[in-house]
Amino acid sequence: MTNPRTDDGDGRTADDRRGDGDERTAPPSSATAATDPLLRIEDLHKSYGAEEVLRGVSLEIDRGDVEVLVGPSGSGKSTLLQCLNCLTEIDSGHIYLGDTEVTASDTDPNEIRQQIGMVFQDINLFAHLTARKNITLGLRKVRGMSAEAARERADAELDRVGLADQADSYPAQLSGGQKQRVGIARALAMDPEVMLFDEPTSALDPELSNEVLTVMDELVDEGMTMVVVTHEMRFARGAASGITFLADGQIVERGPPERLFENPSHERTAQFFENISHDHD
Amino acid sequence: MDLTLWLGQSLAALAHRPDGVLAVAETAPALVDPVAGGPFQVGDWEFVTANADYLLGGTVLTVLLTVTSLVLGFLLGFPAGAIEVYGDGVLRTLVRKFGVVLRGTPIIVIMIFTYYVLPIDIPINAIVAVLTAVDTALGPTPFTVPTSVPGPFMAATLALGFRSAAYQSQIFRGALESIDEGQLAAARSIGMSRLEGIRHVVVPQALRRSVPGFQNEFTIVLKDTSIAFAIGLAELLKRSHDLFLQQTTAVLEIILFMSLIYFVLTFVVNRTLDYGSNYFAIPGDSS
Repeated sequence: MTNPRTDDGDGRTADDRRGDGDERTAPPSSATAATDPLLRIEDLHKSYGAEEVLRGVSLEIDRGDVEVLVGPSGSGKSTLLQCLNCLTEIDSGHIYLGDTEVTASDTDPNEIRQQIGMVFQDINLFAHLTARKNITLGLRKVRGMSAEAARERADAELDRVGLADQADSYPAQLSGGQKQRVGIARALAMDPEVMLFDEPTSALDPELSNEVLTVMDELVDEGMTMVVVTHEMRFARGAASGITFLADGQIVERGPPERLFENPSHERTAQFFENISHDHD
Repeated sequence: MDLTLWLGQSLAALAHRPDGVLAVAETAPALVDPVAGGPFQVGDWEFVTANADYLLGGTVLTVLLTVTSLVLGFLLGFPAGAIEVYGDGVLRTLVRKFGVVLRGTPIIVIMIFTYYVLPIDIPINAIVAVLTAVDTALGPTPFTVPTSVPGPFMAATLALGFRSAAYQSQIFRGALESIDEGQLAAARSIGMSRLEGIRHVVVPQALRRSVPGFQNEFTIVLKDTSIAFAIGLAELLKRSHDLFLQQTTAVLEIILFMSLIYFVLTFVVNRTLDYGSNYFAIPGDSS
């Protein structure tokens, strides 16, 4: 896990610092009116030692939305995902999943994690288990499913990501793209309400990235609620209902992809997209 | 002579001792007249073969002591390693300090401590009670369940077991730490508790990675059972010593024979563990 690092002293303006304020209200394109957001984050703060990685992040994500988080390295994107999945403890603020407060002291984080699927940058398949058993382990131990039912479910999920023929392969026998697709299948098998993707393709060759992005596109089509940290702007353009630009632990601006790409309100955002497009030439 | 026959006879001799199994039979070594001359005399080799049963009896005790020590070492060492990696606070500090002290003390000093200082009757009585209960529960069986544990055997097991635990804890600590943290995060992300993740994801991989270290530890414990000579336990070295005191011309022959037994034991077990390690290896994994 990379250590979150704060890029500071690079000429941020006071305007940048003001952060999320007015931009938060920008309506995501597919928002279903009059329903509460599925995921609500209020004034989230998180420090690692003396370094404050998240400095008051608030965000609302509706059911069926695909929110893409972008920002320079060290801006707190990954930390935000880990907070959402209770993989790291927050310092202050609130997170709600539907009606449940994730951050409440009497909420069982293991229950929450079942409802929030996570796909990791470094994939993290269980190295000693076959693709199928990577999926059945959670179904058996967490859900208490029978071996037969778990196996059927696992095979269905592998089929969904196009890997039905690799069920008996071990992680070390799979390509990076195949491994990440197993990682997605493993998370999907738990029937999550939300899927979190933490730079799912950044460890992969462009060629292998595509097979993963194809699977993600399919999930978007199925209406899965997703929060995706990625630098894949093609995916962001095509699939995102909203893009959130984070820098230095704060939301600089948020809006629909067309507006953020074509007409960002902040210099910092424009600069970031400029740099990204150069990187990917 | 047939090795399995020897072993069978020695075990049978051990099992039917009225005063308890582990009080190894003090059968008098057979005497063979030495033939005068240089080393490797025919008479000295005859002396060795004539006393093969006596030495095999010591070998059985050596093997038994190795097994009890390694089992005790594993039962204490594995949790100790896990506490060093995952534990915190006083417990972790205690485990670490205890390990440092054990690893910094010669095994013979530990063994003399367990034999002469520890109130050894307490663990002996506990184990005898368990063994007696097993014997009662089983009822009449074709074999005899041991119902007594001699002091030197207990003291040697405790010394070798605790010392081995101190080393095994480091084998397991290294193996547990070598498993990428991300896999535990992944286990938790699908709703497993930290403990479940450690149990189902980290430990199965860590155990595989600890086999090479454990092979080393096995060899060390097996050979260090000979230290129990110092507290009079009639294991292989003690019995060999008894023999060549009786027939001093046969020292070399007896030492060669004893070394061969130690070598065969370590070789066979190491090869078996190699085989097991390959059998359980993760396909495609290069580590």
